[in-house]
Amino acid sequence: MEKRGQPLLQMAKIEKNFGATRALVEANIELFPGDVHTLLGENGSGKSTLVKILGGVHQPDSGKILLDGADLTLRSPRGASHYGIETVFQEVLTASHQSVLQNIWLGSDGIFRRRFKTATQRQQATEVLERLLGDAQLDVPAAELSLSARQAVSIARSLVRRPRVLILDEATAALDVQTRDRLFNEIRRLTAQGSAVLFISHRMDEVAEISDRVTVLRSGQTISTVTRETMTISGLIQDMTGSKVSPEESFKPPREPGKVVLQARDIQLAEQATKINVDIRAGEIIGLCGLEGHGQDLFIRRLSGFAGGPGSVSRLEVEQNNSATPVGRRNAAGLGVAYLPRERRGESLFEQMSIQENFVLPTMRQDKIGPFLSRKRMAARFREYIQSLSIKLGSPDDSITTLSGGNQQKVLLARWLATEPSVLLLNDPTRGVDISTKLEIYRTLQDLALQGTAIVVLSSEVDEIVQLTDRALVFRDKTVFAELAGKDLHQQSIVTAYFGQEMEVQYE
Amino acid sequence: MNRIFAFLQQRPYAFALLLCIVLLALNIIVSPSFANPTRWPAILGTFAPFALVGFASTPSVLSGGMDISVGPLTTFISVIFIAVLMPAGLGSWYFSVPILLILATIVGMINGILVAVVRLHPVVATVGMLFILIGLSQTIAPNPVQAADRWSAGLARTLGFIPGALLTIGAAALIWFLLRRTAFVSNLLATGDSDQSAFGSGVNVTAVRILAYGLGGLFAGIGGIALAALLQSSESALATTYALLGLAAVVLGGTSLLGGRGSMLGTLFGAFAIYLIQQLLTAGGVQSNLIQFAYGIVLVVGVLVSATLLSARQRGKVQ
Repeated sequence: MEKRGQPLLQMAKIEKNFGATRALVEANIELFPGDVHTLLGENGSGKSTLVKILGGVHQPDSGKILLDGADLTLRSPRGASHYGIETVFQEVLTASHQSVLQNIWLGSDGIFRRRFKTATQRQQATEVLERLLGDAQLDVPAAELSLSARQAVSIARSLVRRPRVLILDEATAALDVQTRDRLFNEIRRLTAQGSAVLFISHRMDEVAEISDRVTVLRSGQTISTVTRETMTISGLIQDMTGSKVSPEESFKPPREPGKVVLQARDIQLAEQATKINVDIRAGEIIGLCGLEGHGQDLFIRRLSGFAGGPGSVSRLEVEQNNSATPVGRRNAAGLGVAYLPRERRGESLFEQMSIQENFVLPTMRQDKIGPFLSRKRMAARFREYIQSLSIKLGSPDDSITTLSGGNQQKVLLARWLATEPSVLLLNDPTRGVDISTKLEIYRTLQDLALQGTAIVVLSSEVDEIVQLTDRALVFRDKTVFAELAGKDLHQQSIVTAYFGQEMEVQYE
Repeated sequence: MNRIFAFLQQRPYAFALLLCIVLLALNIIVSPSFANPTRWPAILGTFAPFALVGFASTPSVLSGGMDISVGPLTTFISVIFIAVLMPAGLGSWYFSVPILLILATIVGMINGILVAVVRLHPVVATVGMLFILIGLSQTIAPNPVQAADRWSAGLARTLGFIPGALLTIGAAALIWFLLRRTAFVSNLLATGDSDQSAFGSGVNVTAVRILAYGLGGLFAGIGGIALAALLQSSESALATTYALLGLAAVVLGGTSLLGGRGSMLGTLFGAFAIYLIQQLLTAGGVQSNLIQFAYGIVLVVGVLVSATLLSARQRGKVQ
């Protein structure tokens, strides 16, 4: 690689906390003119936070951003744009009732002042769109375009402003293959003019094709930066997962899966996605994982009956001659299928209620004496779970909001355990939960599995999948990309599958 | 016929326009003098406050919010005009008009700041402002005060040859027309459509919101002058009547309460339809309390019809 001059843009020792969550601990990145620089990392590694800081959405707690060696403070996307930093955000951002032309020039004007004549706008928009899409329909509302074309419009919005630094945060995810190839040509044109591109993608093939440099981020820290010549996919994956943590302490006692209790047939999570067939057996723990938004979340909601769609989910009951009953939102609880949603706030907790009231809701019927509820019985039932899950609380009558996140989660777990489910579906159960509580929850789940409960855990943490589950379904592009079990279930294999690669290299 | 239907389906205000035509015909049948050109200035004079309260409600709704206080703001401005400025000797048009319009714009912008900066829910912020304005109006003029200066009466009748109401409605329409030629209306619609997209693309979303509420205040101020012109006395008790009519006109005119979609023209048709209902029922000798009942029915049925019969295009898109 030829010798480099001064970096165009530097981010040094960037730190950012959201409440107690440390999103970025020490992130460093240098973008050189003419380079496509890829940022890689797992879920929660801090990629998006770093991008949003550079795009002006978030402000760092500490650290420096230098453009041409001069200090830079970015207060808003508008401010970033002023310095020639343009971001295409992960979500496809278009105003659906506005025309394509208006969308492309959205935000380039002042509040009142138009910066460009309509003729200029039309001409430049046509040029850019033709290069990205092959044709340019400027006057239709954005809502009438396909998802891929809308994403192209939001990319065009950045391109017409002739950025010095272009940030593409998963911008290729929604693009069809042709448009993506055309985008890559645009990227090359742009870098040939001396601009820099910060590229984020979950597709390893794209990363390999376009990157001049790759920086790997892990737990909010820059781990490594490699050049095109020295990068290998296996090396990058090792950097992303951390190489020291190998087949580690396992929580898995040996156990024999029993009969099939929940059967998913021909589940399709998106149009044209491959259908999914899964049998879930009594006494096994199944992990669902993948990069954000690849279908695992929808799949667990399909299993719970909370979401509908093509395909069927049936509950098989051994006691009743293996009769198969379709699972729906209304009958899930009756069939012994319990679902713990992802968002504690909003989806699970009743924040105005006490701890005990939060616990008792689906099982209140058990405390009935005649038409009245016995608070004594309620308290007695709850006490059992306080003990078995070691929930730390002042009084059961305190507000649920007095508890820590981990203890709230235990109360919610207790709520569903009290229904004595045969199938327990957990959507990211240890998110925002401290490490010791996490381990306690793992133990509880292992005990339940030993007693014959079928457990499905969706997790955004690779470690959790490895430590807790018997087999893992890795989701990619709205379907199951790989099923990993036994010796094949470890961090590297999971992350390799995240990025759509087959496991070729054996890691020692 | 199909072409007319297709044309209507593409216009969110189609139902309000049809309703206006039908109601206009009915009005002329029930009281033929309605078609007499000598009555038009007076008709427009009574219509102007309706139209302007509707205009005043529109920008905030387009920005994805809502301003419920524009009705009382209109009454408040007319009360200030007649019960404060006129007795103080500031009743002439070159003193009063700028003072009233600036005051009304400031009130609107306070709403905008409460919503965009303090981040109160628009309903909370503007219902609060509604009660403040009603309370102030009733404190300032507990009993109706007669207007001392009479220049404004022409705004509700004729000024020379032209109907005076064309000046008030026209002023607001002109301001909107000019704003449409700047980037402001595009920024406003984009903010209401998807504030995330607008912010991410570099639109100053906060400033756009504050200005939207300020513009609503300005239109309400013009409405206040039109109301004073019509009544020639301060009627603080009217505040509650106008409170929700503006919003009804906006919705009937096909503007989406979700923001980002709609038009001032639609609001004009919506307001005119509401006005014509009132005229028709009054002319037909219907009790005044039943008029409100009729508003309610027309509003609900109107929105339903627009959302089902007349929006084949929208449905086609979803599938």
